[in-house]
Amino acid sequence: MGTDVIDSYVTDLGSRLQGSRKQVRDLLTETRDSLEDATEAHLGRGLTEQEAKKRAVEEFGPVREIANEYQAELAVAYGTRTLVWLAIVLPLMHMAWEYGRMLLVGPWQDLGTPTPSWYLVIAKANDMTSGAASGVALVALVLGRILARKYDTKLLAKLAASIAILAVGVVLLGNVAIIAATAHVDASRLMQSLPMSIASLITWTVIIRLGLLARRCLSCATIVA
Amino acid sequence: MKPDALRGHLDALLLATLDGRQLHGYAIIEALQQGSGGALDLPTGTVYPALRRLERAGHVTSDWSTVGGRKRRTYRLTQAGQRALQAERSAWREFTTVIDGVLGGGGKWAQT
Repeated sequence: MGTDVIDSYVTDLGSRLQGSRKQVRDLLTETRDSLEDATEAHLGRGLTEQEAKKRAVEEFGPVREIANEYQAELAVAYGTRTLVWLAIVLPLMHMAWEYGRMLLVGPWQDLGTPTPSWYLVIAKANDMTSGAASGVALVALVLGRILARKYDTKLLAKLAASIAILAVGVVLLGNVAIIAATAHVDASRLMQSLPMSIASLITWTVIIRLGLLARRCLSCATIVA
Repeated sequence: MKPDALRGHLDALLLATLDGRQLHGYAIIEALQQGSGGALDLPTGTVYPALRRLERAGHVTSDWSTVGGRKRRTYRLTQAGQRALQAERSAWREFTTVIDGVLGGGGKWAQT
């Protein structure tokens, strides 16, 4: 007995897709449903089972072309999800960190070693990066919804991925800058409080996680032809 | 009708197909084919990404439900989708009126 053409088609399609597992599963379930419905319709018109399945697959479209269209949607969905994470997590993470710092360490000015003015500029800039990155992600989400039908899905997916990469990059840069500046001014400040060191570690874990999400976003968007 | 000619109108056709009812993917495809008397010849697989696009735009919403003993994703128009459909219909009427005024003239300029 030969391989089922519907199974082969769905497997081939699935092997070409990259994105959220749930989204891929939903699309493939819907594809299989559609192919089975079409098969039933063709059986009703008098075709044999094999002919009906073959016709259903042919009507569905060339797997490469369909995979490309599916992938564009998966990429834009992944991009949207990443931007939602960025818009919510970045300001929350920053607020939690700042609140913890004020409680456990206090204002930078009250520390034992003098804090140069340039350091405060870097600290201020770092404070702003999370808010700015979150704001950009939020604007991108709103624009993405408004422009969903006006612009090509592949372009929107690439834009969402680029914005996500840029947003995480800016936050990463801000955090690296403040750590380097702190080490330059007084390295002991970096290990001054164990809870703050743990908070910093959590912050970095979140940033790295967001970075990985953004990278996958780009990967999903760039495999679209 | 060729797929390329249809592609630009697929969103509007899908909105019109879902007007006042809730359908699953293949039922939408069947309704499109029946509505066109079988003239719409689009790879059926292109309908699903288009439905996702409409959902992303907030014009369509979907739910998984059991239809005929099978779990299926069904789609329906949102209020924004209803408004988008009205806009599409007006734009289409305007477009056909203008084009018909020129193309449907029966060569009246040649007769003058």
